[in-house]
Amino acid sequence: MEKKYWQSFGELNNSEAFQKSSKDEFKEDLPFDPKKGLLEAKTPRRDFLKYLGFTTAAAAVAASCEVPVKKAIPFANRPEDIIPGVANYYATTYVQDGDTISVVAKVRDGRPIKIEGNELSPLTKGGTSARVQASVLDLYDGARLRFPATYSGGKAKEQTFAAIDKEITEALASAGNIVFLSSTINSPSSLEVINQFLAKYPASKHITYDADSYAGLILANEATYGKKAIPSYKFDNAKVIVSIGADFLATWLSPVEFARQYSKGKKINDANPEMSKHFHFESVASLTGSNADDRFLHRPSETGAIVASLYSVLQGNGVTNIKDAKLKAGIEKAAKALADKKGEALVVCGSNDVNIQIVVNAINELLLSNGKTIDWSSTSNVRKGVDADFATLVDDMNAGSVGALIVLDANPFYSWYDNAKLKSGLDKVKVKISLSSKADETTQQCSYTVPNHHYLESWGDAEASTGHYSFIQPTIYPLFKTRQWQDSLLKWSAATNDYLAFLKTYWTTKLIGSSWDKALQDGIFVKDSAVATTTSFNASAVNGAIANIQPPKSGIELRLYQKIAIGSGQGAANPWLQELPDPVTRATWDNYLVVSPAMAKTLLNIDLTNSGQSDSYEVNPPKKVVSIKANGKTIELPALIIPGTHPETVGIAVGYGRDKKVGKTVVDVDGKSVGVNVFPLASVVNGTVNFDISNVELKVTDKKYPVALTQTHNLLTTPQGKRTEVVKELTLGEYQKNTKVILEEREAELGAWGGVKNFREEGSIYKPYDKPGIKWGMSIDLNSCNGCGSCIVACHAENNVPVVGKPEVLRFHDMHWLRIDRYYTGDKDNPNVIFQPMLCQHCDNAPCENVCPVAATNHSSEGLNQMTYNRCIGTRYCANNCPYKVRRFNWADYTGSDSFPNNQDELNNTVHYMNEDLTRMVLNPDVTVRSRGVIEKCSFCVQRLQDGKLKAKKASRPLVDEDVNVACAQSCPSNAIVFGNVNNPESSISKARKDSNRLFYSLEFLHVMPNVSYLAKVRNTEESANV
Amino acid sequence: MSLKYESQIREPLVNGSKDYHQITEDIVRPIEAKPTRLWYIGFFTAVALLLFGVYSVYREVVYGVGEWNLNKTVGWGWDITNFVWWVGIGHAGTLISAILLLFRQGWRTGVNRAAEAMTIFAVMCAGQFPIFHMGRVWMAFFVLPYPNTRGPLWVNFNSPLLWDVFAISTYFTVSLLFWYSGLLPDFATVRDRAKTKLRKLLYGVASFGWTGSTKHWQRHESLSLVLAGLSTPLVLSVHTIVSFDFATSVIPGWHTTIFPPYFVAGAIFSGFAMVQTLMVVIRKVFGLQDYITIGHIEAMNKVIVLTGSIVGIAYLTELFMAWYSQSKYEGYAFFYSRANLFSPYGWSYWGMMACNVLIPQIFWSRKLRRNLFITFFMSILVNVGMWFERFVIIVTSIYRDYLPSSWSVYYSPSIWEIGFYLGTFGLFFTCFFLFAKYFPTIAIAEIKYVLKTTGEEYKDKMDNLEAEDVEAFAHKHAH
Repeated sequence: MEKKYWQSFGELNNSEAFQKSSKDEFKEDLPFDPKKGLLEAKTPRRDFLKYLGFTTAAAAVAASCEVPVKKAIPFANRPEDIIPGVANYYATTYVQDGDTISVVAKVRDGRPIKIEGNELSPLTKGGTSARVQASVLDLYDGARLRFPATYSGGKAKEQTFAAIDKEITEALASAGNIVFLSSTINSPSSLEVINQFLAKYPASKHITYDADSYAGLILANEATYGKKAIPSYKFDNAKVIVSIGADFLATWLSPVEFARQYSKGKKINDANPEMSKHFHFESVASLTGSNADDRFLHRPSETGAIVASLYSVLQGNGVTNIKDAKLKAGIEKAAKALADKKGEALVVCGSNDVNIQIVVNAINELLLSNGKTIDWSSTSNVRKGVDADFATLVDDMNAGSVGALIVLDANPFYSWYDNAKLKSGLDKVKVKISLSSKADETTQQCSYTVPNHHYLESWGDAEASTGHYSFIQPTIYPLFKTRQWQDSLLKWSAATNDYLAFLKTYWTTKLIGSSWDKALQDGIFVKDSAVATTTSFNASAVNGAIANIQPPKSGIELRLYQKIAIGSGQGAANPWLQELPDPVTRATWDNYLVVSPAMAKTLLNIDLTNSGQSDSYEVNPPKKVVSIKANGKTIELPALIIPGTHPETVGIAVGYGRDKKVGKTVVDVDGKSVGVNVFPLASVVNGTVNFDISNVELKVTDKKYPVALTQTHNLLTTPQGKRTEVVKELTLGEYQKNTKVILEEREAELGAWGGVKNFREEGSIYKPYDKPGIKWGMSIDLNSCNGCGSCIVACHAENNVPVVGKPEVLRFHDMHWLRIDRYYTGDKDNPNVIFQPMLCQHCDNAPCENVCPVAATNHSSEGLNQMTYNRCIGTRYCANNCPYKVRRFNWADYTGSDSFPNNQDELNNTVHYMNEDLTRMVLNPDVTVRSRGVIEKCSFCVQRLQDGKLKAKKASRPLVDEDVNVACAQSCPSNAIVFGNVNNPESSISKARKDSNRLFYSLEFLHVMPNVSYLAKVRNTEESANV
Repeated sequence: MSLKYESQIREPLVNGSKDYHQITEDIVRPIEAKPTRLWYIGFFTAVALLLFGVYSVYREVVYGVGEWNLNKTVGWGWDITNFVWWVGIGHAGTLISAILLLFRQGWRTGVNRAAEAMTIFAVMCAGQFPIFHMGRVWMAFFVLPYPNTRGPLWVNFNSPLLWDVFAISTYFTVSLLFWYSGLLPDFATVRDRAKTKLRKLLYGVASFGWTGSTKHWQRHESLSLVLAGLSTPLVLSVHTIVSFDFATSVIPGWHTTIFPPYFVAGAIFSGFAMVQTLMVVIRKVFGLQDYITIGHIEAMNKVIVLTGSIVGIAYLTELFMAWYSQSKYEGYAFFYSRANLFSPYGWSYWGMMACNVLIPQIFWSRKLRRNLFITFFMSILVNVGMWFERFVIIVTSIYRDYLPSSWSVYYSPSIWEIGFYLGTFGLFFTCFFLFAKYFPTIAIAEIKYVLKTTGEEYKDKMDNLEAEDVEAFAHKHAH
């Protein structure tokens, strides 16, 4: 037994008193009275030194250990599926106002940074548009509403969701008639949510409002097919396409889908030199018109006459009501081509007039398109709005019969033509709730805002066309105190479950042959859709419609059109989209009056055939300002001369002049909004919104306004001859006669230096180097490229290309690594257009490389012309010596990564916006952000190439095509760009080069030996290309 | 009968009846006297310009090259135009000192000192542009091939810009040495005349202990010849290499094999014009008409009309080649961008043609060659013309090159670009005013050489001597 030593009886007996005293043996209370608080406490004399020591040490620690504020939070416990530095991809869906594109979001360390097309989608096959690419930047938009709020007297008061829900449910309960106003919603589960809400409030209804209205088309379909819907169009099944003002490659309905289909008809090879034929009738030069094989110009008011004439010619009668001889011949030509290809023809029309669309339907019936190129088995759900519904709503509001209005994404206060009437109506609505995620014009009229998530933060589904489902899943935790609108509606309908649960329940029964997880992972679910079916055509309305078509008018007419980037205003707050040069006008940042060269001569006194006048117009950004009087309203805009526009028609893009609250981007240097809102110039005719205005008065003012153009000169032909070495085109006839036309042209150019075959060796006194291993190359099919600009924005996002803002673009400082050059050839008033994507050609014998004094730009062993940013000293010699002018210099501190701090003050709003911490979350961490004073340019997405090589290496196999793809090629809806390893004979790039005699290199004779090849543009016309 | 034959058509190189002492007095006078009011005005104006230039450069360094109006197509504008222009001006001094020394052209002594100073200052000004046109000037040392820890990573020896670095730094060093070695005996003269301790100390240090011993003179002579021999090829090589910046590129209008001789002729042309501008003023302000005579002015005007005509031939040859080659791109550059007066920059081409080729032809007339007012006016015009030439070459070539899509908007300089240029004028004239005040503007020692053969006093004495009969001479000199 252990011997026990004890000091006291207490210890021996382990008494309670002893236990207490031993426990508290050294206990001393803190030397101040806790009741009095720390600050009031007196320091006892004996503790003075303790206090002194502690405070000194504390002060020293506090002062010396100033830790820089780090905003990144390290993963103390790494989430299961996030590896720092490795991207995750989530399938989701881009949805905006009915536009629906299945995408895959690239997420790095919890931040979505890039949107890529979902290749599983049967509709888009991985294609995207510029707006889809740019949508990731909207997520990080500092102008998004950050919390639910109530408004009184123009002042926002932040609320909790619980409080605002309570207030809103009370208000709705007593509101009477409730209207849920939205832009097109094609999410089946959301429509169900809306139905639940409508069921909860019996006196309520859902109205769809689309700023870019397709009501004419929808109502015409109702009249002739009995379906208030839009069919799916199959441009790929059409050998002859006639479009009357439908800009289907850029803005009409579902352009990404159509661009893919359209490009199929344009894919042409030496073995099978056949392609579709596209006739385009238009008033103001558009992207689609620029791609057409034959373009005919007409007045907007002639649209009806053209459609009627086409119908009448197809029925064996003559052209009516058309005076212009060229146009008349065009209609006859188009009609003949259509008649020859019955069942393989398609006629589309951009008009919003019911009567015209009825006749278009009748034409398609004559052409047996129904069931072939027009598919009624799966209707398109991208637009559903009918203008009359909204017009009635405005009347109802004015009559005081609307008690509450809930607005989601629709923005009529900006885009409805009769703003005054809408305003007075809105003032009479007691409860106005906005679910939009931004303080747009309509939201500003509301008293409650319950902001919606960005789609990258949301759950959901979408049905672009019937049976084609696409799922939305969040890729980031919501950045702000926002809530999905479906959740809001469920709350207000007193539903118990949230939207995610609702969505899951909704889909459990409907996913046949797939699971929820699988559907979510793919992002796509296609409900077995039958082969194209026909729907019976009701011809009874046709004759009436023809009779009701308005005859052409005289005088100057105005057409309001949409730009591919800005749309009806959705893209206005996005700097990438604002800085994307319009493919047709090559202008950024503004809307303007588009006039024809003929009108320029009479109106602006600028004769483009006079080299002095045309030079002076081109080289000076300030353009003459014209005052435009239309529908009783007057606006002033600068005029741009754009060939391909009818001599007596002018055009203005909608979507500009947005309220400053939608983002810093829309604020110009002078503090005003960028551009002018022209929606008020529109009108309602026969119940549908009409964007064509006649009796327009134009007057030149003596003011000038600078327009930020990124390209000044448009003609390939100089007094010294046509620069065919830059870009090559031919006609289908020439090609069919001799597929080697382009090859022979190259032979002639290079004849003096050994011809095509020996040019590499004989073009120089130096021996060419061997290029073993990988050699990257790109081939661009100019026949597939329609110039849409999706690749440009993809490049912005992938490579952290800076946005410089309007004042800098005006100074020709735009930074695009990839641009799409637009050239005109032929007829000056209605020219042929060629789009040529131009990026660093990665020349094997690069003129930029040998002039750099410090070897900052050099050639990699894989054929890349690479930039070493931290070696560059910025002499710009390389940029001067680049024949393609693709090198871009950082003129100022655009990215905030400079060694001189705070030197961005003189730069503009846009640069400041792009440098906010929030916006910078979009940066790709794999790509260096370039500092001021260095040159940058296309790198062939070298970070992706490294990634791809690593993938192959890890799998211990040679690199294959699927391992790498560059951002531009990936985003292209028409698959115009092929990229890969040229040294691999099996790669698609090798095949693309080998198989085509249309192959050419831009400026090949310079012997710079580019690694980007082009396939010549083929135009399906009879005339020779080299006129 | 004269002891030394002298052509009757040659004018004396020094006018007035000067003896050695008088020459020293004349030339050192401005150094020893207080500066005039005019000097102060001129000096402070120059300093003000210099400060404006410094501020312009400060903005460019801190805010970026975006302070200038260059753009994605026109990567070089006023910066490199001014660089080539100043380098060109910096050619006359060495040409006068070195080549004319080797050719034993006596008349050079009146103007060589100031011309060399001008060269040094002009090259200093020129050097600013390639340095400050860099986007990251704080990394400018990357252009020097020094051993480093990055590999070592070397400069790109293929780049004409790197050749420039070597060519110009070599030229500057040799010119400076040449100039300074010539200054040594003159500094010693000023030192020996010094009345204050400070002056004595400063000029004493500057004269490197020159005593005027025969050994010193012998070495001085040898050094001058060696440096003259070194400089002579440099005069030709510097501008040849500058022209390679353009000639080795692929840009139509730059890619031209005629550039080296054409640039050298142009450089001599503009250098002489600048010398004229300065000489006409200096001789008047410092009363040095006797040393920088109308004969000097005329000689230089002859060089101007000669080199101007060479440049003119070069211009015509370029046009001919543009036509003869039948290249669309070169043809466009020459016939549209340049020769077409109504194209955006047509004015600069025709400004160049007028100032460099047409107007200098008036110097075929002896009367106009000897007219100071015309000379001064012409010398300015020539340099305006030569500035246009560089602008034409640089800007009109790149603003519209191969791809019409990239043709530039109208490039005109920003205030800071102009400020930088004015700043180099400030630098140049600040240096020049200091030079004129503190340095002997005419080579005292060298002009005394030519005095022996052409001075009035010398001739008078010789005449007296010759008039004396042999007996009297012998009597006088035999002791």
